[in-house]
Amino acid sequence: MNLSNDRSMYEPAVSVKNVSKRFGDRTAVDDVSFEVKRGEVYGLLGPNGAGKTTLLSILAGVVNPTSGTVRILGTSPLDSKTRGLVGFCPQEPVVYDELSGFENIMFYAGLHGLSGSEAVKKCRELLDKLGLLEYADRRAGKYSGGMKKRLNFAIALIGDPEVLLLDEPTTGMDPGIRRTVWDLIAELRSLGKTVILATHYMEEAEALSDRVAIMDGGRVIAEGEPEMLKKECGLRAVINLELMEPAGGALKLVEPYAYEGAVYVDGNSLRVYVEDPDTVAPKLVSRLLNNGYKLLAMRISPPTLEDVFLKLTGRRLVEE
Amino acid sequence: MRWSAIKAFVVKELKTTLRSREQLFWIVFWPMILVLMTGYIFIPPSVDQPKTLKIGVVNYDNRSTAPFNGSYFVQILDEVEYKGVKLFDVVEYENESTMVDDLKGGRLDGGFLIPRGFGANLMMGQATLRIYVGASDLQSAQINEAILRGFIEGMSREIAYRKVNETIYYMRRYGSQYMPENLTIPGFNETLVEFLEVWMTGLVEPINATFVDVKPETLMTRSTVIGWYTLGAAGMSILYTGLNIGSLMAVGEKERGTLKRLLASPATSTDMLIGKTLAGVLTLGLTTGLSVIVGIFGCGAKILWNPLKPEHWLVPLLLVLGSLLMIGFGMLLSLVTKTARGASGLSTVLGMMLSFTAGIWFPKSWMPEWMRFLGDVFPATWAIDAMRSIMVFEAGLAEVLLDTFKVLAATTVIYLLGILAYRTVLRRYAEA
Repeated sequence: MNLSNDRSMYEPAVSVKNVSKRFGDRTAVDDVSFEVKRGEVYGLLGPNGAGKTTLLSILAGVVNPTSGTVRILGTSPLDSKTRGLVGFCPQEPVVYDELSGFENIMFYAGLHGLSGSEAVKKCRELLDKLGLLEYADRRAGKYSGGMKKRLNFAIALIGDPEVLLLDEPTTGMDPGIRRTVWDLIAELRSLGKTVILATHYMEEAEALSDRVAIMDGGRVIAEGEPEMLKKECGLRAVINLELMEPAGGALKLVEPYAYEGAVYVDGNSLRVYVEDPDTVAPKLVSRLLNNGYKLLAMRISPPTLEDVFLKLTGRRLVEE
Repeated sequence: MRWSAIKAFVVKELKTTLRSREQLFWIVFWPMILVLMTGYIFIPPSVDQPKTLKIGVVNYDNRSTAPFNGSYFVQILDEVEYKGVKLFDVVEYENESTMVDDLKGGRLDGGFLIPRGFGANLMMGQATLRIYVGASDLQSAQINEAILRGFIEGMSREIAYRKVNETIYYMRRYGSQYMPENLTIPGFNETLVEFLEVWMTGLVEPINATFVDVKPETLMTRSTVIGWYTLGAAGMSILYTGLNIGSLMAVGEKERGTLKRLLASPATSTDMLIGKTLAGVLTLGLTTGLSVIVGIFGCGAKILWNPLKPEHWLVPLLLVLGSLLMIGFGMLLSLVTKTARGASGLSTVLGMMLSFTAGIWFPKSWMPEWMRFLGDVFPATWAIDAMRSIMVFEAGLAEVLLDTFKVLAATTVIYLLGILAYRTVLRRYAEA
């Protein structure tokens, strides 16, 4: 029975209602609700410890929520038939080191009911797509970290899933391979697959997601299309200034020019959020130079989701 | 429950197990080492051969001019053989204290102090002899004493017979001169000389006992005893490897990080349980098979097996039941072990302890009452006893059927409890 064919196309692929998960006194996921439409790529963006992994584990049916309900394609994720339609890629590459890459993926093919030549063909196809076919017979224990991540991703695709849950799928991959994985995710979207992508890379969330939920401290603090989120924050541009010396002392000098006083200092650099960069940039530069600061570089860029997160929380997504 | 998922688990488990050096050691090499150790240490190839003792001799009777003196006795010690093997390797000492020093140092198995006049006394009356029993360990002390006692008793008896024969010879030769011919003892038909011959023989050896070996065929020779121990080694592997497999059922995957992905897959926890159990039983079958092969070809073990006897087919059944039983116990252990290392360590320790209480290595009759009780209530002991009843004491089907049903019932109960424990571990994982 193909569950996806039995359900209305208007029904959300994933529905999360008031889901919380507590581990003792610690709340990992705090009253989270959202819906993901079929064929949508939904990004979960947040720093480490935001609750993304726990939420994905709940969606995968691995961890039980303390409260709230989760529906995948209209059914419980605990239903083994539902799990057959879900591909899960955990954050850490979980492979059997004693088995070859091919044997690893064949094992999961068996769990999805694939066998014989059909399974072999499908496994080789996926390994080829992720550049692992050449190393298919090498034991996974001898794979590099990046190769394990790719194998991890390939395993998530073996059951031809309707819904894909990806937890930091590209962390540890080199840029070339990361691009390949992005292309694969885009291809899956074009095939009508639903993808939930947990990441702390804002470029990844921006490049791939139709909608994004920004998480912090177990809660969803903002949700929507990336462009809309940026607009809602009132940000038009970001001026990045690289100084010769620590930038902390220059904070007071640039604050009056920033939109709602939004300036962030990070070592020798200043990040100033402005409404009208063309007018503000020359003024900022002359003020700094007149006060004895030496400027190494200046860059004006449109705001990113990182900036949205910074604006909402006062912290960066990836702490240096 | 899907066969493709179960098959995937079986193949994966067998491959990961046989490719892991640590696992391979415990499953393949450890049973082989056990069988070889059993074959060559418990029952060394020389077990059927008499042991040669290294003995010291202090001879103070070497200057006597009697027809038999201490030097002749030393010569006998040096030349005496049993089943074609020299019984003693003689080292002569000048004085007693030097010999005793070597005995205390464990460098001698025994010693003889031959006093002055030993030979003359032996011929004409009763000789005294001091014998020292040496030892390098407790067991060798018993063996050495038995050999020394056996030798002296045999020699004493031999000398007594010779003295009796000599006496009878002289009585026959000269008796007629001093005793009336045909003198009889009232109530006896023999002549006085005939009567005295029988009487004196009785003095030398009042009971002429004949010992007849009627041990089970399996315990008759070294090769059959090794066969008996080979089954014990296989049983021990089943004890601790079974415990290990059961205790790692969920914990092993959890520690690898793969449990998360398995629980997210369409395979059910039942698929995993059945797949891993089947792989475990196959692994234990492999362990048993290897133990038997090493026992037969490496140590010369003889294992009684007759496929025409239906009770012999209960042995593989008992092995499978024993495997399931220990896997079930292992799953129960996983309730208290949180890491693979902990599970593995606990299973090995428990497996070792149980192998002693189950009477795998030593007869249960050696154990104190409370320990014997522990062995008697442990179902694996029933399985091992039933197997030995069939293969050692040639018990018939009717004699072991009840024990087999008891093992079946215990395995069912323990395995079901194990399943509950396994599900509890998975539930804890999902709740944590």
